Amino acid sequence: MSAGCRKGMVINMRRKIFGIVLNVILVVLGLVTVYPFIWMLFSSFKENKEIMALEQHLLPSAFTVDNYINMNARFNFMRFFANSLLVTIVVTLAVVYTSTLCGFVLSKYKFKGRNILFGFVLSTMMIPWCVTIIPKYSMIQSFGWLDSYKALIIPAMFSGFGIFNMKQHIATLPDEILEAARIDGANEFFIFHRIIFPMAKNGISSIAIFQFLWTWEDYLWPYLVINTKEKQLLAVGLKMFSGQYSTDYGALFAATAISIIPVLLIYIIFQKQFIAGVASAAVKG
Amino acid sequence: MFKKSHPLQSKSEIILRDIVVVAMVLFFSVFLIIPIGIAFAGSFHEWNPLSGTYRFLGLENYKEVIVNPLFWKSLWNTIIFSVVVIIFRVGLGLAIAYAIYSALIKYKSFFRSVFYMPVVTPMVAVAFVWKFMYNPQIGTINQMFGLDVNWLMNPKTALAAVIVMTIWKDFGYAVVMYMAGLYSLPADALEAAKVDGANAWQNFRYITLPLLKSMTLFVVITSIISYIQAYVQILIMTEGGPGTATYLSSYIIYDEAFVKYNFGYASALSFVLFIITAIFTWLSFRVSGNEE
Repeated sequence: MSAGCRKGMVINMRRKIFGIVLNVILVVLGLVTVYPFIWMLFSSFKENKEIMALEQHLLPSAFTVDNYINMNARFNFMRFFANSLLVTIVVTLAVVYTSTLCGFVLSKYKFKGRNILFGFVLSTMMIPWCVTIIPKYSMIQSFGWLDSYKALIIPAMFSGFGIFNMKQHIATLPDEILEAARIDGANEFFIFHRIIFPMAKNGISSIAIFQFLWTWEDYLWPYLVINTKEKQLLAVGLKMFSGQYSTDYGALFAATAISIIPVLLIYIIFQKQFIAGVASAAVKG
Repeated sequence: MFKKSHPLQSKSEIILRDIVVVAMVLFFSVFLIIPIGIAFAGSFHEWNPLSGTYRFLGLENYKEVIVNPLFWKSLWNTIIFSVVVIIFRVGLGLAIAYAIYSALIKYKSFFRSVFYMPVVTPMVAVAFVWKFMYNPQIGTINQMFGLDVNWLMNPKTALAAVIVMTIWKDFGYAVVMYMAGLYSLPADALEAAKVDGANAWQNFRYITLPLLKSMTLFVVITSIISYIQAYVQILIMTEGGPGTATYLSSYIIYDEAFVKYNFGYASALSFVLFIITAIFTWLSFRVSGNEE
């Protein structure tokens, strides 16, 4: 056997071992990443005495769904869930529509002031929540929108982040398709709804899931503008619940699981388009 | 013909454009520009909605921000929090993305999806999960490592505990960003380096890393902006305590505005924080030598 060949084999072996080590590291890191979710989920099916026991196991020794029943019976938790779902879906649909529309106009139309407008949209993303939230709260109060879902939906209808991402995304769609449709006599409303919208699928799914998550997890704004308990959203409900039943860990685990699962499900279903959309905006941006 | 610029705009194009421009300008004026103006004016006033006070103070609120030791403490905490989280986010993100990108890993999109999971879960809920994990009575962390530490109640460990949780939640974002960056690299540059006999490390250090500079800048700047505003994990996990160990600047604003209703003072704090964000963003542009 020649020296070169042996050297090649050694390199091959080293490469193989290195590959195994790398895979093991990634699997361990992956387990660390999902462990909190698994622990939460299993704990939500344990009895309180098992959660508090000195000796603990990951799997529940006596499987129970009482926590889920208690959480809802004591606190009407599913009401918060339904409220959140409604508000989140409305806001997400609105933001997807306005972002795609603004993104289309800003990327495919040439007009005076377009770049200024786009620069302005970009700069809105730099403004911290804390600068505007106090006056926004006072404004909503003076509009008489407190304690109504108008306060949650209307100020959230346009998103700088959404417009920016959709502009970047739609800019990559070929102009020729638009030109062809125009020559065929299609008006701009048709072009937007029937051509741009379906073609911008990846961009849409990425801003949709982000917007869904942000509205779903938003704490401070619903906490400020909604006063009636029955109208409150999930994130605030979770905090209220933990304030009242701070030691009923089983029910708390169940409530937490309920707040996380819908978002995770949507993510798992749409992850492909979603990740493609997130990444493409950043590469171009 | 009208191929490039299509100067003859159709009527529907003009209508659509006008609707969109007017709607955008109107919306952002009402919910952004005017509020910024009101907050700026308010920062020079004693402004309390409960007592109905709105009295001109001049620079008094800003002076008070500067002499408030809690503000400086919170700023220091915010800097430690942000710097540590960003270092781990960028470091872990880059290392993991590069590992997944390499030919040695088979299930690339599986790993990517797993690491991204915490990013898409609601902060309030995962903050609760981690609060329970740190709990000395029911928590899994002490159990796992056979420790007896009250992580969130000990001033020495509380901020670190919140930092660890935040890194766990956010590193996946950097993984996805760097993977996108890696897959968009020009293949010929990497190929040329291989032909020139560059080893794996040289390849990474002198070819890949410089090409990923703009992605790193993007991750760092979006991180700075979001971490200076972070408060939810504090609200759920520690409420700033024990003592002032985990006060972050945004949490003070929350506390002043919506617990104590000092709207004027909270507005002044917000502007100071905004300026600090702008300075750090500008600094990271300067450090990276990217002047766009």
